[in-house]
Amino acid sequence: MAARCAPDSWAEAGGVAAQALAIQERAGQLAQTDAEVWEVALAALERTRSADPQGDHELEQKLNRAAAAPLEIAQLGADTAELAALTSERCEPQYRADAAAAAALAAGGARAATHLVEVNLTVREGDVRLERARASDRAAWEWAERVLETIR
Amino acid sequence: MTALSTLSDAQLVQRCRGGDPDAWNELVERFSRYVYAIATRGFRLGEADAEDVFQEVFTRVYTNLHKLRDDAAVRPWIAQLTRRLCLDTIAKKGREQPEAEAAPEEVDQGLAELDEAFAVREALAALPEACQEILGRFFTRDQSYRTISEELDLPSGTIASRIARCLGRLRVEIEGRSEGSGGSRE
Repeated sequence: MAARCAPDSWAEAGGVAAQALAIQERAGQLAQTDAEVWEVALAALERTRSADPQGDHELEQKLNRAAAAPLEIAQLGADTAELAALTSERCEPQYRADAAAAAALAAGGARAATHLVEVNLTVREGDVRLERARASDRAAWEWAERVLETIR
Repeated sequence: MTALSTLSDAQLVQRCRGGDPDAWNELVERFSRYVYAIATRGFRLGEADAEDVFQEVFTRVYTNLHKLRDDAAVRPWIAQLTRRLCLDTIAKKGREQPEAEAAPEEVDQGLAELDEAFAVREALAALPEACQEILGRFFTRDQSYRTISEELDLPSGTIASRIARCLGRLRVEIEGRSEGSGGSRE
């Protein structure tokens, strides 16, 4: 929003706005995917509890899919926070607080998504997916802190 | 000798008129995906019908190129030819609005989107390799900044601004092209 509000005030504003729209679209699709694969995984978990002979393999596959969407959401959170940081550096001062809010929200989203990866039953400590999610979470919060510092 | 792929549409048409067979090959190569996309995505023709339209379009281009008044307008001319032939094909088959057939406004919108997509693709091809690479990764392959940073060995923190700069260049390229192709048609 901050980039779109003043598209001519800094050279990269249009490009930043285009990236923000692409991320927004991707996030919407991922949230939908996340909900769907989680429903499927939950149903598979129920079947396993009732000793369905299809067994653990199917459940594991579905839980693996359920971990993929939040992992991508965490990465999108880091991207969004970074974009917000760039916006905050270049935009007109009156939009800086909006950029900071966007960075903080993105970091919150990355944290929540990382938690979903952490609690997935197929993910153990040392799992590369967990490491990537946590790295995204850290990056998102570093960007957000940097932006928030500029408005304190 | 100039590589044919770097010629403008108008220059290519001039070479075709001069009887250069390589220029004809380049012309077909340059517009084949466009024609096929109009037939299959714009008018939803099946493979066989689209193939027939494709053949007929380029036959007519070959025989009528001398009638084109503005060489720079070859793309809209080919688009118009393709549309007419697609409509003829649909009429010939006597379709009674089957469910697969799009409404006229949907077709128009689809064709406008196709035109835009091809314009962006061409403008993208004119950008430096580095810009093509980073824009392709972010917008086409949906890669995250982190992945782009790792795979291109670029420092984190420069990806967003580099994409923004490349988008700026793409915009200039597209605007330059649309200003340069405002000529009259046949």
